Amino acid sequence: MTVVTKQERAVAINPTRACAPMGAMLAAYGVHGAITINHGSQGCATYPRHQMTRHFREPVEVATTSLTEKTTVYGGRDNLMAAIKNIWERFRPTMITICSTCLSETIGDDVSSIIAEFQESNPDVTIPILSVKTPSYVGTHTTGFDNFLKEIAATMPHRRSRGDVNGRVNIMPGWVNPGDIRELKHIVREMQVDGLWLTDYADTLDGGYYSPRPHFPHGGTTIEELRDSSRSLATIALQKHVGGDAARLYKRRYNVPAHVLPMPIGLKNTDTFIDTMTKITGNLPSIEVQAERARLLDVIVDTHMFNTGLKAAIYGDPDLVEGLARLVAEMGMQPRFVLIPSNSQKWADDMTALADEMGVDMEIMLKSDMHELHKRIKAEHVDLLIGHSKGKFIADAEKIPLIRVGFPIEDRFGYHRRAVVGYKGAMYLIDEITNAALEKRGNVVSNTLMEIDLLPAESTNGNGCRVNFNGKHSITENPASED
Amino acid sequence: MTTEEFRFQCNTTLPERAPHVAVKGSCGCVRADGAGCFISSNVATTPGDMTERGCTYAGCRGVVGGPVQDVIQLTHGPIGCAFFSWGYRPHVADDDFHMKYTFVTDMDETNIVFGGEKKLLQSIVEAANEFPDAKGVFVYNTCSTALIGDDGRDVAKRATEMIGKPVVFFECEGFRGVSQSAGHHIGNETIFKELVGSVDPEGDFSRAINIVGDYNIKHDMRTFEPLFEELGVKILTRFTGNVRVDQLKSMHKAALNVVHCARSATYIAEMMQTKYGTPFIDVTLFGIKAIAQALRDTATFFGLEEQAERIIERELAKIEPQIEYYRQRFQGKRVFVYQGGPRAWHWIEMFRELGLETIAAATTFGHEDDYEKIFNRIQVGGLVVDNPNVPEIEEILTQIKPDVFVSGNKEKYVAYKLGVPFVNGHTYDTGPYAGFSGMVRFARDIDKAISSPIWKLLHAESRPAPESYAAAAD
Repeated sequence: MTVVTKQERAVAINPTRACAPMGAMLAAYGVHGAITINHGSQGCATYPRHQMTRHFREPVEVATTSLTEKTTVYGGRDNLMAAIKNIWERFRPTMITICSTCLSETIGDDVSSIIAEFQESNPDVTIPILSVKTPSYVGTHTTGFDNFLKEIAATMPHRRSRGDVNGRVNIMPGWVNPGDIRELKHIVREMQVDGLWLTDYADTLDGGYYSPRPHFPHGGTTIEELRDSSRSLATIALQKHVGGDAARLYKRRYNVPAHVLPMPIGLKNTDTFIDTMTKITGNLPSIEVQAERARLLDVIVDTHMFNTGLKAAIYGDPDLVEGLARLVAEMGMQPRFVLIPSNSQKWADDMTALADEMGVDMEIMLKSDMHELHKRIKAEHVDLLIGHSKGKFIADAEKIPLIRVGFPIEDRFGYHRRAVVGYKGAMYLIDEITNAALEKRGNVVSNTLMEIDLLPAESTNGNGCRVNFNGKHSITENPASED
Repeated sequence: MTTEEFRFQCNTTLPERAPHVAVKGSCGCVRADGAGCFISSNVATTPGDMTERGCTYAGCRGVVGGPVQDVIQLTHGPIGCAFFSWGYRPHVADDDFHMKYTFVTDMDETNIVFGGEKKLLQSIVEAANEFPDAKGVFVYNTCSTALIGDDGRDVAKRATEMIGKPVVFFECEGFRGVSQSAGHHIGNETIFKELVGSVDPEGDFSRAINIVGDYNIKHDMRTFEPLFEELGVKILTRFTGNVRVDQLKSMHKAALNVVHCARSATYIAEMMQTKYGTPFIDVTLFGIKAIAQALRDTATFFGLEEQAERIIERELAKIEPQIEYYRQRFQGKRVFVYQGGPRAWHWIEMFRELGLETIAAATTFGHEDDYEKIFNRIQVGGLVVDNPNVPEIEEILTQIKPDVFVSGNKEKYVAYKLGVPFVNGHTYDTGPYAGFSGMVRFARDIDKAISSPIWKLLHAESRPAPESYAAAAD
């Protein structure tokens, strides 16, 4: 039976969420030549930088206003004014984003009016300077990303007159990896749609080696594009919880139709994305896209005997978890535990509907942490964990394979370059999941190059026939319990 | 370009940085602003200069308190501080509870408005119930909970009674001080006041020492502890790598404190000297001469000189052929070392022993005494930078062109993007680097970084960015 639960503890133990400034910093990396100033303690900039560097394996640069004890008494105005000036003079960025922190919010600094004061006294600085509210005590890291997009939507686009269109489609990928953005670009290109990306850090956070090194990393959405985004045919937000509100803002302010979709992971969600583009432009999927879709169905068929009935625990950001849950259900697996760090009733409703539609039983865990998930898994075995690196501790303790997806992946290389979206992303995930399952069983009973049959834990159906290291056959009621 | 000719182009608009940049002249420190006085350090960062510094919380939770392996590491504040300080610094120990778990009171907006004391107390009790084997709770304060005036000290006192284990409250809110250095100080003081001396075990401690200011990064301690034990001394407490909270309580029983990281832990050695009369010696556990000196100084204190000479001779014989091999390979190679504090001066001499010349040295949070040691050790012409920022680091890498850059994770990919060989001296890509055996490993990694065939490929094959990229960049 599908149930919705909420963690009741006061203390969070091994949270699966970080704080809002990092989201704004990440999103701002998708604007070419933009620099973020974090208005707070130095740690509020250095910690997220370090976290992002460990994930993307790229230089990540964020400035800080370096607030100290004195400034918490007198306010951070002087530091912020100096920081904007220093960043402008030294880097000549295309845009400056100022994200707030617990500290600057609690002492009550009015960032917008400090920016106005700066612009008044520095008329030569004409670049956009954005203020994004990101205190750590509100929401999660995705909140910062979402707030950044809302700020872009509210302040950057030109006013639009009726019938004035640029023929492009605004696309908000949400909190994804550079690899995902590249895959989305591929799909959009195949649909002959001219995408305007809000925002695009595919290259800025997965850059190449050029000699000499360019002043700013190549790539990213330009300021002109942001200005022009009010003239687009439509906006597609590919995450409901990151970008959904901004897409609706484009509709309200500039009359750009909004399409807020589930993250395009798996067959149906990718179909929805493609159908939406068809609806907006009239363009039909290319032969290449049709072939990818057919290939995905083929992969689902090829692997189903090894995956059907396997139970997975999925944790992380709401949109990612929702997409992954649908994908594993499409594969014939059970998304047994689905967990997010926030307290979103809307997400719980969507997941309940998904469970009904797909005929699966899930425990939908709201406002929960990794420790709560660990306790669930100790009580009820699952075959796979799907999520970011912090699940490693559970995977190690319970000897369950971890399929690394999401942010942060800091204990392995290259995951930021892979895509989980689109038909190709789905095929990649299915291969990973199937091979992990085979690998685990193979470690126990492999003396053949044939694939080893996998049975769901606690299942007594199937033939239950296993081959031991000594080559003898043995029949067990519950093969998984021997692992 | 020589370091004497070198001027930071990136600081043209940032005159505040000049007092933090200096060159070692024949008579000592020559500052970039022309002023004769010593390099400026341990002062507030210029806002927006792209500093690499962290906060006071990071220094306390991440460096001093975090390595204690059997306590609940509880952050009193919003989620981010706890998430970011979880599990990345490899201050490993016999147990891994402290690496695997992070706890946080997870302050939300309502808590910020109405106060978080109740939630803190409840969190401590819940965490202690959830992990009954934990031997105590370390609570770290953050910016927001300090500003709203939560009395964490009082909560900790009440919680100690309720759970029957020490609950230690660290007032390490991020905005205090100018860098993580303030957090080290607070960590020292708090552990000293709250824990040290709270038990008084019986026994013979006449040959007991504490290793103070080593954090057991990737098992650094395994390289030198057996050597100290072989001398005939007993290691009572480690502050704070691979330590248990009970060992901190009894560390005042030691006869001698052996201080490794002078920046982050001399505080507690001085406090112990004042209160308990425990003497301390400063040592460096990197490099041949330094480790030998550390063993000799410790031995002299206990009258164990003979054992020391025997151990040193044996260990040197083991590594000397390997060190000689690397010394040949490193002839004429130049290093830029940028570390948090003492490692910058610890390593200048070690690099010299390896045949490497340190052409530039920088620290994130060094104080005057750290820079004095740097100036004593670096050769004439060496560039010294306090609290360097990203553009300065880039300029040193591109203009002075060191053969290898020894720094930390955040700077690693900057070096790589500029095609400069890099060794991770903070968290070690491999390690451990301390002790005699660690030095060989350090040399091997430097060699791997410098001599990797990839650089030849990279420099031969790399191309400029396509024109559209460059245009977009301007």
